[in-house]
Amino acid sequence: MVTKEEVLQYIRTLAEQKIITKDELIEAYDSGSGIKQDIFLIKKVGVAEILYYIGGAIIFLGILILVWQNWSTLGFGTKVLVTLGSGIAAYFVGLLFSRDERTETAGSVFYFISALVTPIGLWVVFDNAGFDASSYGSQSLISGIMLVTYLLSLFVFRKNVFTLFSILFGTWFFFSLTSWMVGGAPYFNYWKFYMYRVLVAGAAYILMGYAFSKNERAPLSEFLYTAGMLGFLGAAFALGEWKPNQNVFWELIYPGLVFGALFLSVHIKSKAFLTVGTIFLMAYILKITSEYFSTGLGWPLALVIAGLAMIGVGYMSFSIKKEYIDTKQHR
Amino acid sequence: MEFVKKNITLLVGMSIPILMILFVAGSIYLPGLFIQPKFNFLYVSGADSYYSKYQYSVQNGKLVRSEIQRLENQIYQPPREVKLYIYDVAKNESKEISFEEAQNLNLDSSIISPDGFEIVYGSRGEGFFPFFFLSERDYNTLYLKGHNVSKKLNLQLSGSYYNYYNYYDNFRFIGWIK
Repeated sequence: MVTKEEVLQYIRTLAEQKIITKDELIEAYDSGSGIKQDIFLIKKVGVAEILYYIGGAIIFLGILILVWQNWSTLGFGTKVLVTLGSGIAAYFVGLLFSRDERTETAGSVFYFISALVTPIGLWVVFDNAGFDASSYGSQSLISGIMLVTYLLSLFVFRKNVFTLFSILFGTWFFFSLTSWMVGGAPYFNYWKFYMYRVLVAGAAYILMGYAFSKNERAPLSEFLYTAGMLGFLGAAFALGEWKPNQNVFWELIYPGLVFGALFLSVHIKSKAFLTVGTIFLMAYILKITSEYFSTGLGWPLALVIAGLAMIGVGYMSFSIKKEYIDTKQHR
Repeated sequence: MEFVKKNITLLVGMSIPILMILFVAGSIYLPGLFIQPKFNFLYVSGADSYYSKYQYSVQNGKLVRSEIQRLENQIYQPPREVKLYIYDVAKNESKEISFEEAQNLNLDSSIISPDGFEIVYGSRGEGFFPFFFLSERDYNTLYLKGHNVSKKLNLQLSGSYYNYYNYYDNFRFIGWIK
């Protein structure tokens, strides 16, 4: 019986001799660990895949328009059959299709249809039961049911697509539950409260993306990094507000957050961190220039300085990408 | 323990929103356990202005009512029924009271109560994920607000005129009961 160290040493030797590739190694690990890699977010999106997803979107729109146009004439049973029934049917079609590699992409599309249509079906049920289906309480219930469904699906089938849906419905649940808890309480500034929640959701996405980057869910990482960075830096930027109501804390801490993102882009080799960090650094330069320097220096000169700074940021971003991210990814 | 060590980033990522939910719950419910409003208040429901027979006010700490003068040869709608209520802040409920009974109360018509509370309208957040930040004043909900605590009021209103749009006219604060 060989030890773990011996196996790892043997892999190192094979890698040095270019006998084994990283992909082959990961594939061997996945097949041995019982984790089935689904093609979701891995396979390069071609024309056929785009057409699949457009078809899925058209099916969703068709169901939506059918129910909306005939709302008063359709009975409760028909409405539930068209929405919730279609959603559940699409889920099982997705399950069947994803069993065969040739129809796996079509399976992902049916999962998407299910994820879009099932909440509408639940909305119909809640509406008929006399609840205000668009209230935060009902939205919490609908998103909670969807979250539990996809967490169970993830637990049973271990597919990336269910991880993604669990995260999306979990986010919806987080927002609607906190909105429901606060209600109309007069001490809460709704706009700031919303921004803090986006900040928290963004931080959670980034951390989950980092956790997934080391396992079989790695294809989700860049999506989570992008969404997380947009949320986190976007919310921190918005919390800085605008002169004369600016928040000094967020305006002062913001360069630290942006440069932290740029530093981390090298450390974790993420283009999402670099791109989003660069965009928000540029936005910050423009904001600070217009807030504090447009009156003293005058707008034309302030714009010239801001433009030069943005060229510098762009060059820095390009250099980082070329020097540290692209090269390291190819090594 | 091995699982926690291996998935620490994922667990921290998932626990941040959960901690925020707990923080929001704590900031809403905890202060209310320690700070309680003490003064009950008197209010009138049923629009005691244009459509009613009397208008109520506080003079020298006592409730008075004055008849609303109407021009002759003008056609008016029949006067609406106006009711007076005492709101019990400890029980969080309203109790109807007659004008004669209310006249015996010592009232303070200040906006803020002697213990630092005031009655304010709540906000109404609207929207669907991910756009939850829209809000406006909600005339359907009133709160007792003070000392970083807000308590939703369970007001009884004159039923016949109560609907979504005239809530604003249907509640008028008269005074704190001393």
